[in-house]
Amino acid sequence: MADTTLQVHSILLAAMTIALVYSVRFFRARRQRRERQRRITSFESLPMWIGQAVESNRPLHLSLGGASLGESSAVTALASAEFFYHLSLAVRSADVMPIISTSSTAAIPLGQDTLRRARQSGQQAAPVHWHPQGERSLAYAAAVASLLEAEDPAAHVLAGSFGPELALILENAHDRRQATFAVSDQLEGQAAAYAMADEVLIGEELFAAAGYVAADAAAQADAAVMDVWRSLIILGLSLALLINGAQQLSIAVRALVLLAVLAGFIIGFLVYLRRR
Amino acid sequence: MNRRQRLGVALPAFIAFTVGLLTLFSLLMGGNPELYGFMEQPTVTAELVALPAAALVRLTALAIAFTVLIGLVNLLYVHLGRLARRQFYSLVLLLSFAGTLGWYMVNRGDTTLLAAVQVPIESSLAALLFLSLMHGAATVLKRRRDGWGFLFAAVMLTVLLATLPLAELAPLRPWREWLMTVPVSAGARAMLIGIALATVAAGLRALLGQDRSYRG
Repeated sequence: MADTTLQVHSILLAAMTIALVYSVRFFRARRQRRERQRRITSFESLPMWIGQAVESNRPLHLSLGGASLGESSAVTALASAEFFYHLSLAVRSADVMPIISTSSTAAIPLGQDTLRRARQSGQQAAPVHWHPQGERSLAYAAAVASLLEAEDPAAHVLAGSFGPELALILENAHDRRQATFAVSDQLEGQAAAYAMADEVLIGEELFAAAGYVAADAAAQADAAVMDVWRSLIILGLSLALLINGAQQLSIAVRALVLLAVLAGFIIGFLVYLRRR
Repeated sequence: MNRRQRLGVALPAFIAFTVGLLTLFSLLMGGNPELYGFMEQPTVTAELVALPAAALVRLTALAIAFTVLIGLVNLLYVHLGRLARRQFYSLVLLLSFAGTLGWYMVNRGDTTLLAAVQVPIESSLAALLFLSLMHGAATVLKRRRDGWGFLFAAVMLTVLLATLPLAELAPLRPWREWLMTVPVSAGARAMLIGIALATVAAGLRALLGQDRSYRG
């Protein structure tokens, strides 16, 4: 793709996203009621874990992994920090604040600021734990294992950028019967999370997490925008596939395929409306 | 909230909004003279528009380099705190830190300690990681007793068995090829597209100064 075309497409994508974000927020504010969100069952265990952490006076361990500011994972780091902020708010009545760990030095101020904003006045925010990652982040996984021993967290929320080293952390946590919630923006980490974590999110669900753990209208609107974009992409890909296939068919068959597709969309839409 | 507090919230959000929009505009519109063909000096204009993003990205790189110092201070602070609570593993870390720093300074940049200690330990952990992954995959049915769990286990077994260099397992190889090139590849791409879209929405929110971290 030529530079100019790429730039024009990028500008259009940015402008459309901004327009969608503000439109969704505007309409949600006008309706004055909480919209039902797509159900993600993984979030349903979190309130119980938070309660257990408060009751047992043990910290939650929140980890950003290698998600870092100033890199391609910067937005992941911001989304995770927002998610952690709401979790930290939920446990701030406990004596112990959550522990945030990271393997990136640039994420230390972000984590520290998240804890600072969530603490109660007079409460001391725990320092963020930075463990250098080394090659393949294995040193970080080993250091987190020592944290599990020293701090004995009630549960682990591992949301950020993790590779396969996530498997070591999850196995250590399971050996100590500590609950785990994991999601990664890397495919290897996501696979380890799916296989080994008690609760798991898939990829982009991390960016909607704040909207699920708190009644934050802005975060819920952002989650709705992602759903709209996802639906548009699925629709676009399906149409492109159909047009490509239809070019190889006769006119009569094309009409039949078009009718079938239209019927499919109408039935799908009706089923969607009924489920809502 | 008094006036001073309101200003404390509004000012960072305003700075973030201005810098974010400027960077976004500069990145999207800069460096391409074709976009300014209607002007007298399109090349100069394109470079001028690209300048703020380039300058801000350099500033960011400088700030990130500085965070290494923050990391070192954080490491010492956390482990001194643990030592005060009589957690003596931290003493080992602090001694290792001082020893490695001393060795590096005395021997003028020699990284033998790193190569002799860190690399073998990480290699051992990599071997352990393989076992952990296998154990996790083997116990997936214990955690997820549903159709997806069975599908995961079946695909994993097919791929693993087809990788073995045994003639008896040769019929599984076309299945492995198909699994890796069609469903696995499609799933991976779908996930990456989802993450990219979410990144655009969340990134724009941060660039427009709407992220909570700017609001104090």
